[in-house]
Order: sequence, then C-alpha cells, then structure tokens
Amino acid sequence: MKNKLPDNLFPCEITSLLQAISSVGFFESSILIGSWVMPIYRELYGILYVLQTFDIDFAVHVAHTKNKLRADLNKLITGLGFSDYFTADGIQKFTGSGYEIEFIGQRSGGREKNFLSVSEWNVTAMPLPFINILIDFSDEAVLRGFTIRFPQPEAFFLHKLIIAQKRLSDAKRDRDLEQCAAIMPVITDERIQQIVKKQRFSKETWRHIAGSCEIVGFPLQCIG
Amino acid sequence: MKVAEKDNVVHGMLQEEYGRCLKVINSLQLKAENYPKGALNVRRKIINGKKYIYHYLVRRDGKNVINQHISEENISAIQKQIEERDKYRKEILAYKKRLDYLEKLLKKSVPRKRS
Repeated sequence: MKNKLPDNLFPCEITSLLQAISSVGFFESSILIGSWVMPIYRELYGILYVLQTFDIDFAVHVAHTKNKLRADLNKLITGLGFSDYFTADGIQKFTGSGYEIEFIGQRSGGREKNFLSVSEWNVTAMPLPFINILIDFSDEAVLRGFTIRFPQPEAFFLHKLIIAQKRLSDAKRDRDLEQCAAIMPVITDERIQQIVKKQRFSKETWRHIAGSCEIVGFPLQCIG
Repeated sequence: MKVAEKDNVVHGMLQEEYGRCLKVINSLQLKAENYPKGALNVRRKIINGKKYIYHYLVRRDGKNVINQHISEENISAIQKQIEERDKYRKEILAYKKRLDYLEKLLKKSVPRKRS
C-alpha cells in the first residue's frame, strides 16, 4: 500500500505544482528532492525538522537526452502562473509566489556541461553528481489522490553525507548535516548498505562520507 | 537582557535567501526588459461621421510621452506580452519586498543597488 500524505502538507502553490507534473507522469521516474522532502519524512517517519527553503527542486531522470517530448513542463509550469527565466549559466528556472523551481539531473563525466537539455520534458536541468542515488532509491506517496516520488531516507541521508563535504558555503554544509542528524534515527543499516553496494565511490567520496559521519555521530561501519 | 545565541543554520538560510533574491531580481529584470514598455491605449475619432478606433502603445521617454501606433493584427500579441511583462514585474516587486525584510533581519549595512 502506498504511503498517504495529508492534504495540507504543502502550501497550495506547491500542491498544485506537484499535482500538475504528476498528472503528466513526471513522478514515474523523476523525484522531488531538496528541503521539501523533509515534510514528507516528518509525516511518514516522524522526523522533526521544520526549516524549508523557497527552492522546489526536482531530480529529473534523463534516460536519453534526445528522447521525444512526453509533456511540455515549461508550458505546464508557466500555465500555473510561474514565470520562467534563465540564469547566467543557462539554467532554466521558474519563479512564482516567491518560490523557485529548478530541475537537476545526473552529471556524468566532467564539469564541461553547464546544463542538460531534457527534451522529454522540455526543460533544462542543472547537472550534478550523485543525483542518481536519489533517483534510483525512491519511494512513492499519495497526496490528494495523485502520486509523488521522493528519495528513500537512506538515499537522502547518504547523498547529504557526500555533498555536505563538497559545499563551499558553511551554512549549506551545516544545514545538510543538520538534516542528516534529523533523519539518522530512521536509517536502517540494511537499506543503506544495499544502496552503497550499488555505487562505486572513489576514495575521496569515502573520505567525505567518513567526515560527515564523524560530525553527525553516525557509525561508519553501518554504511559498509 | 538575555540575548539569543546566533543559530548558524537559520542565519545561513536567511543569507542564502538574500543572495538568491538578488540573483532572481536581476534575472527577472533582464527578462522583463525584452517585453514592450508602456501601456495600451485606445483613441476614438470621428471623421466625416464615421467612427475610427486606433490603438497606441503609450510610454514615457524622459520628459516625452511617446504614442506608438499598434496595428489591429498586433494588438492581441502586444496585449499578451504586456500581461507577461506585468507578471514579471509583480514577481520582481514581491522579491524586493522580501529583500527589504531580509535586510532588516540580517541588518545589512551595505546598500544594495536599486533599479
């Protein structure tokens, strides 16, 4: 049985957005990420964490960059009253009611690409490493009758452990680690080990994981 | 007086939001510049007993007011563009309001460039 979320979990602008993109099948393989996952965890796992940013981030699954158009998310999102714009790096974003919507995709290879064109959804996404951890290990929940997808807490936790050490901003690193500490009580060793088994981490990534584990007080041996 | 200890995570989030607002305002202003300036205006004239309706885009250029005639077939396109522009302007205004609030919270001493 799917997890059921309360109707008023998100502000109405976010609920409408989630409903619209869910209706075109976006959450079949792509997911909601970022701080707006925390209210879901709060509801499903009793995690206590209340800080939210105004960014609404989605990790978009890019099977092939030249896939044919499935749904025009650009049109769909602007149709909801959001305005689109491009950053200096060429990343497309949407803004409305003070929120900012952004799509993020898996960065494979080097840093030469500033953005990914996702033809399947007619959006551009910011390429970042380790996003596949979140996409590959995700769960579904039902909100007001539609389905949304979000990362499993173990995937979210592992991802935060890695990226926290890569952050240039101390504030962002502190926030990542604070989120890790909040999720820690619900992490199961078996699940996190399953995720780690599917990854091929470099020595540097392991160093990052170990560094974050030490700060949040999570035993490294539980990860593998 | 008891002073609350500074919370780095919360303070960092506010700082981050302040920086984000500045970036979004810049991007939205750039986008809004691509849309026509001014407002649509209608002038009705009666010439030889016949009524004529002319549409104009009225805008200010320094001390001058410029009336640019808009042909019938372009009206709906211009109207749509003006609506889009106003949407961006409204969003910019909302971000500027948030910026003002954040400035007070963060006690920003450096005056930001306003446009």
